[in-house]
Amino acid sequence: MDSVDLDQLCRKARVAYEWSRLRRALIGFAPALVVAAGASWLGGKPLASAPFGLGFFLAGVIALWYGREPRRAVLPGIVAGLFPVVLTLAAMHIGHLCLGARCTSVCMAACVAGGIGAGLAVDIVGVRKGYRPLYWITASALVLCTGSMGCACLGYGGLVGLVAGYGMGVLPGVALCGIRR
Amino acid sequence: MKKLADGDRSAFRPVFELLLEPTLRLCQGMLKNEADSADAAQLAMTKILERASDYDPARPALPWALAIAGWECRTIQRARSRRRETLEDVGPEAADGVTEDDFITRQLSAAAVAAMGELTQADQDVLRATFWDCAADVSGATLRKRRERAIQRLQKAFRRLYGLG
Repeated sequence: MDSVDLDQLCRKARVAYEWSRLRRALIGFAPALVVAAGASWLGGKPLASAPFGLGFFLAGVIALWYGREPRRAVLPGIVAGLFPVVLTLAAMHIGHLCLGARCTSVCMAACVAGGIGAGLAVDIVGVRKGYRPLYWITASALVLCTGSMGCACLGYGGLVGLVAGYGMGVLPGVALCGIRR
Repeated sequence: MKKLADGDRSAFRPVFELLLEPTLRLCQGMLKNEADSADAAQLAMTKILERASDYDPARPALPWALAIAGWECRTIQRARSRRRETLEDVGPEAADGVTEDDFITRQLSAAAVAAMGELTQADQDVLRATFWDCAADVSGATLRKRRERAIQRLQKAFRRLYGLG
């Protein structure tokens, strides 16, 4: 086999390698579609949640295909992202909390609290393992997409609450990792 | 291989280069045929790198890769033995100790003779004279030109008859 053949063979093998990774990523992340569909359906506004579900799926597949730190962020990202979803869905069943004459929606509080919880969960894994920025970016994308499927039913306010809560939760971990480097 | 399994693309070329030589040697050892072993090695390298993501870092990489290469070689061996069985079914001549390579050579020769039959008598004479290295009725530049044209026409006839050439 001469050098031209070798280059061709190397390219062919590389294409096969990338396709194989993509196929595995699609198969590996397919069960997460159930999470996305469930969250969208339970949220009561599937059309509002669908773009986030799609974003969640794409982010997960890309992370699994790419590998390395983004791949390691997938599981913490999904699990942490379930905090705001579950809290918001539970809060939607409670509706409003009335203290005397004043009633407030607990949904917004659930989004913020879920975001903080998700941020802290991502922190714990990231700080313990000393992961690099790609972990934080991927985990954040997955948390925000997953959480948004629950909080989207509250409109922009819910999304802002989620992002603010998540920011508060994740910042200490990011800062700690930044200081360590 | 561990890096590649994790998705580190910078390890691709080094892994490819490190595995190629032992894979090729294994295929040559198993198949005892230059062309088949090169084919098997190419297939094996593609399969190994395609399955790099499945690689378990706890296991040694080379035996894992060579196991895949060995499997490819056995697949080619099985295909070759199946072809040989088919050739043996073709006729007593093929079964009479004729190897697959001999059979292919005979087939190609027969095809070339059939293609030559499509040429004019003059072209056939020129090609025969060239083959037997005997004197034709012309010589020098004229013979060379006639030979060139005859070979071109033979190639065209071969291509027309068999789609090859």
